[in-house]
Amino acid sequence: MSAASRGGNGAVSALLRNSRRVCSHCARPPTSSLARPYSEAATTPKTTPTPPEDIPSTRYRIKAGLILSRPPLLTRAPTPFESAFYLYQKRLNERLAAPFRAPLYFPTDTARALDWRLKQRERHGVAAKDIGRYNPRGRVAWNDEVLVGSATSTPEYVVERLLADAEVRVSEDGEEISAEERVPVERPVGRRSRADEEGDVRRLDRRMEETVYLVVRKGEEGEWGFPAGDVTTSEALHETAKRTLAESAGVNMNAWIVGRVPIAHHVAEFEDAPETGPAPAAKAADAGDESRFDGEKIFFLKGRIMAGQVDLTGNKYGYTDFKWVNKDELRQTLPYEYWRSVRNMVELR
Amino acid sequence: PPPLTTTQVRHATFVPRPRRPYTFTQLVQLSDGSTFTVRTTMPTALLRSSRDSRNHVLWQPSDRSLRNVEADEAGKLAAFRGRFGRGWDMDAGAGGGDGAAAAAAAAEGEGGGEVKKTDEAVAAADADPFDSLTDLISSQYKGGQLGGLTAKEEQQKEAHKKKK
Repeated sequence: MSAASRGGNGAVSALLRNSRRVCSHCARPPTSSLARPYSEAATTPKTTPTPPEDIPSTRYRIKAGLILSRPPLLTRAPTPFESAFYLYQKRLNERLAAPFRAPLYFPTDTARALDWRLKQRERHGVAAKDIGRYNPRGRVAWNDEVLVGSATSTPEYVVERLLADAEVRVSEDGEEISAEERVPVERPVGRRSRADEEGDVRRLDRRMEETVYLVVRKGEEGEWGFPAGDVTTSEALHETAKRTLAESAGVNMNAWIVGRVPIAHHVAEFEDAPETGPAPAAKAADAGDESRFDGEKIFFLKGRIMAGQVDLTGNKYGYTDFKWVNKDELRQTLPYEYWRSVRNMVELR
Repeated sequence: PPPLTTTQVRHATFVPRPRRPYTFTQLVQLSDGSTFTVRTTMPTALLRSSRDSRNHVLWQPSDRSLRNVEADEAGKLAAFRGRFGRGWDMDAGAGGGDGAAAAAAAAEGEGGGEVKKTDEAVAAADADPFDSLTDLISSQYKGGQLGGLTAKEEQQKEAHKKKK
């Protein structure tokens, strides 16, 4: 309904405009004395109530923040149950699958065939490298389970056995290479990086199995939080978030903001400054707008970082420190109410 | 023929199972050193991959070092340039990682000066690629203008040699 049609006076014109079948008497709104005879106010003249002047209106500063996360770089390590299950399935496969035909891959009387046969002999005839010693045929075929506490099922054992098998044991001439002359296979880099060992919270290659989030703070006594900036009237939330990130953390980051819709919001009420004492330093630093704003509402957008690192030098927001923390550390670092606002939108891992 | 019976059989009967090949666990190492395990019919324990999405420009758009590299396996592109010159190159960066310019300069026998000259020639040619292309398609093109002879001229040259 348009603004002109609202209200009793407008109803007449609206009714007359919409349907020509209503007579002008019916279109007129009913008079108050006839409509509400039971009302005590029907007889007394009504006065329009004046709006009360002493109800304060709350004003909130609108801010756009960015939950910048680095997704996990490694898949999760399998649980002991998963490892045991995989070993069980591999041993079961020994019984059910067709036996391995070596001449198909290793032509007879070649160095590679000798190399394969030598390694298979060391494995007591088992073709697979990661299942330990198990013969699916024969008297002991029932013994397909490992003892409690054995390391056969662990992923470290599997990788170690595969790397040991990758060594070349027979030279091209067909001669067995002695232990001193064997070229060891280069071990791959482990799952825990140097940043994990040293506890460096600023590096992006820590906690590679989990999502890590960027938190910043102002000074030593400031509270940790996601980078946030004031939204100007000409900007959308995602534009503010992008600008805030560039202004606070530098431009040396390949970051991507996922969509334009915020994923979380936090409403912070400013504490009223006591009339006798000075205002708290942290809150009064909001550019002298303490008197105008009762609080702030921060809308967080989701961002992903692909490359680069945070550089806080010369940032406009006064941030002095940053760190990349996983979900558990985030819960411990953020203030309680702040964490409650964002806790449902952090990743599971 | 006896009627169809529906009595149960209590002893073990043959259940045909699918004939599945023997599978191994394999450690795959990508070009950036990351590893993962896969199940495969290959008996190789460790598979090292030299070209994959980790060092391909399509999957690493922010990696500048991958952009200028031109993969010239078997030297076919260098042979093409020797015959038809650099007028057909797509951009100035092509062939930079190739080392073709350096190789050509070394072959000519001069030092750093020649390398600079060829670079300038390349830059000049690429600065106005339209001109070099029009030269090639025009009838006034003479062999050796931009590097090599056309196929037709090569044939004529050989026929001339044979006559001799």
